[in-house]
Amino acid sequence: MASLSIESEARTREGKILEGQDLSYHYPGATKPVFEGINLFTKSDELIAVVGPTGTGKSTLLRVLAQLIPQASGKVFLDGVEVTRPSPKISLVHQSIATFPWMTALDNVNLVLAGSGMDEQEAIQLGKRMLSLVGLQGFEGYYPKEMSGGMRQRVAIARALAASPEVLLLDEPFVHLDELTANEIRKEVYDLVFNPATTLKSAVLVSHNLHEVVQLADRVYVMNSSPAIIVDVVKIDLQRPRTERDPGFLDYVDLLYKGLNVKKAKL
Amino acid sequence: MDVTIPLATLATVGRIFALIGIAIFTGHLLAYAAIKSRNFENVYVPLVNVFESIPVIGFLPLVLVAFVLTFHGSIGIELAVDFLVFDAVAWNVWIGIYQAFKTVPLHLVEVSDNYNMSFWKKMTTLFVPHSIPRVTSNIFSSFADAFFYISVSEVFTAGAATANLCPRGTCSTFGIGTLISQYTTSGDYVGVYYCLISVAVAVIAVTVVLSRLSKWAIAKFGVDTPGVIKRYAGRWRGRLVTSPWRAFRNQTNVFRGYASRLRPTPREGRPEAGGAKRVNVAKYAGISVAVAVLALLVYASAKVVASVSAQTWYGFFRETPQLLEYVGADYVRVSLIALASLALAVTVGYLLATHRRAGDAALPVVQVLAAFPAPTYFPLLFIATLPFLEHALPTLYTEVYIFILGFLSCFYYVFFDFWIGVLAIPSEFVEVTQNYRLPFLTRMRRVILPASLPYMITGLSSTINSAWAGIAIGEYWPNLAPQVAPNGLQVKFGMMYYISSNMAVGQIGAAAYVSLLFAIVVAIYGIAFTRNLMDLARKKYVVEEGIFAA
Repeated sequence: MASLSIESEARTREGKILEGQDLSYHYPGATKPVFEGINLFTKSDELIAVVGPTGTGKSTLLRVLAQLIPQASGKVFLDGVEVTRPSPKISLVHQSIATFPWMTALDNVNLVLAGSGMDEQEAIQLGKRMLSLVGLQGFEGYYPKEMSGGMRQRVAIARALAASPEVLLLDEPFVHLDELTANEIRKEVYDLVFNPATTLKSAVLVSHNLHEVVQLADRVYVMNSSPAIIVDVVKIDLQRPRTERDPGFLDYVDLLYKGLNVKKAKL
Repeated sequence: MDVTIPLATLATVGRIFALIGIAIFTGHLLAYAAIKSRNFENVYVPLVNVFESIPVIGFLPLVLVAFVLTFHGSIGIELAVDFLVFDAVAWNVWIGIYQAFKTVPLHLVEVSDNYNMSFWKKMTTLFVPHSIPRVTSNIFSSFADAFFYISVSEVFTAGAATANLCPRGTCSTFGIGTLISQYTTSGDYVGVYYCLISVAVAVIAVTVVLSRLSKWAIAKFGVDTPGVIKRYAGRWRGRLVTSPWRAFRNQTNVFRGYASRLRPTPREGRPEAGGAKRVNVAKYAGISVAVAVLALLVYASAKVVASVSAQTWYGFFRETPQLLEYVGADYVRVSLIALASLALAVTVGYLLATHRRAGDAALPVVQVLAAFPAPTYFPLLFIATLPFLEHALPTLYTEVYIFILGFLSCFYYVFFDFWIGVLAIPSEFVEVTQNYRLPFLTRMRRVILPASLPYMITGLSSTINSAWAGIAIGEYWPNLAPQVAPNGLQVKFGMMYYISSNMAVGQIGAAAYVSLLFAIVVAIYGIAFTRNLMDLARKKYVVEEGIFAA
């Protein structure tokens, strides 16, 4: 088990894919930033997680990393190049499962291929392949309202993958799903991150579920305080695939739990 | 400047908002009845379309006279004027609320049904809050429409009928429309300009307030919209919290609490899962109202039919094919106006909705353009442009003027509805379009237009229905600028010309007959366009349903 200091972590930044440098963000009209001085990065074939109490701006941080909203200060880099506007290379999967109700599953996925120069047949084939990748073969013609929550979330993930992203940003993607479905999709997501059939290099997961985080993440950034800062970075050093029965699994959960509570007591 | 000008402006603004308030209140009750009873809906929607389409100024002099005769003196005149202004503000508010009620997300309706919410509870917690963004966007249009016709709403004549009722046969009430009319009649154009400046100031002030109100409504009552909910702290907050109403409500809640503890609900009275089927009061009330309205219409129609001789009817029937051609010609004009309005809405409206500063700067301009009473400034435009247009388009120049008048009288409905529809798109969807850098046309075609479709249907429906009034003015304005055009502005091939010219020479029967044909066409349109498209929107285009988890 390893809890890295922020300084030592900074010395190991090599081969980074997505990087946020000294990020801070103010909500409009707020007197102080919701978070500040946030430094984080992902490496190739790495899934990192961000945890923190409610209100620390985790979802906002994801939006800043996707450049859907501008940070108050700091910079975002993808493969060492500064990112200043939204890019399909950094795909966000929303917590609220944003699927367009007037489009079929295939249309929802193919939406992101518009303007890519791909011809229609090619786009349809790719869309079908992505839906198949998330286990939705045969459901291409279904509308969102004809699908369960788990299926809709798979559509959203397939859409994100169809955009050929390098980084997947996952904002509590399993929170609305039942445990069985969530567990199934967690495995799929993890396999996708390391699947050579996709363009994905890394993923950032925001979650309140510490068991889920320990199961999936390579490193975990713990946010706390107000304005929120990174108070700890925990490297999860367990064999994969992981289950709660693995020795040390619950110790990591406890460690993260402490990280969430220590600062809270000081507030 | 005459001190009565600002006072008259305030009186008019007050009158308009009071009537908008009445329209909002009644609109909620009627819309609820419409969504609960298909029968009522089938009567309500076409009737609203008919009322919105037929310019009341030309068609209901008897109603106005009835007000004046029934209530006598200034109260009768005030009520008649209020009726005219209500005609300008009510219908699109009613259609907007109906559209909002039709597109309440299914999940939320299920929650309200699940907990057996009463009518009052459903209205206050679900239907009214959900309708607030639509209502605020429709206030823009209603306010503009009320001002657009204010110079002919606050002052009216009904020919011989009002000759003995009001001075010189013209009835009027205190307001800026009356002042404009008086200054115009007396040739005091400086007074007219001061009035227009006063109108512009009022419109800009109201637009600024409405614009903020709309953004607040969208932020607070839209599902996951990008706007930030503003909270009003400070002295007003304290006053609101300690308002007498709240104190009274808290008191009654305390009593209600005691009462419920003292008197537990008997077991047999409690709602049970899958219990006995409840009597659907709204459904039967809807059917009853629908039957009553239809019966009234049939009775009135029968009386009219019986009062006209068979020979006259024969003459009308023989003329029917020609009259339908007139209706068709005007529908072509309306279609062009509607298409132009839609094009403006989806380009400029979209731009203003997505660029805050541009919106803040340009919205008051659009609102002033929409609200300025065209009958007061159009003659100047006509005089200035007629020589050029008559030379450039010798056969089409009258059509250009009709188009301008029609466009000015109705473009803002679809404009403001589309604008607020775009603002109401949940932020998740906006983020998807940004995240994947969807090309503009794809974004519009696949996301923005479908997501704002329910708003667009409402706006387009009101634009189409309201275009008729502008066309009615444009097709028959015989005394417009006689110094440059001895016959004014007239077009011979059109239903509105036929109606207005027949009314002018006292041929009320012919005008009424073509109005009847028109009303039938509009009623069919109401079912085919407004109701069916709204049903489609309900089935497929409720954008808020797309971001809910199952």
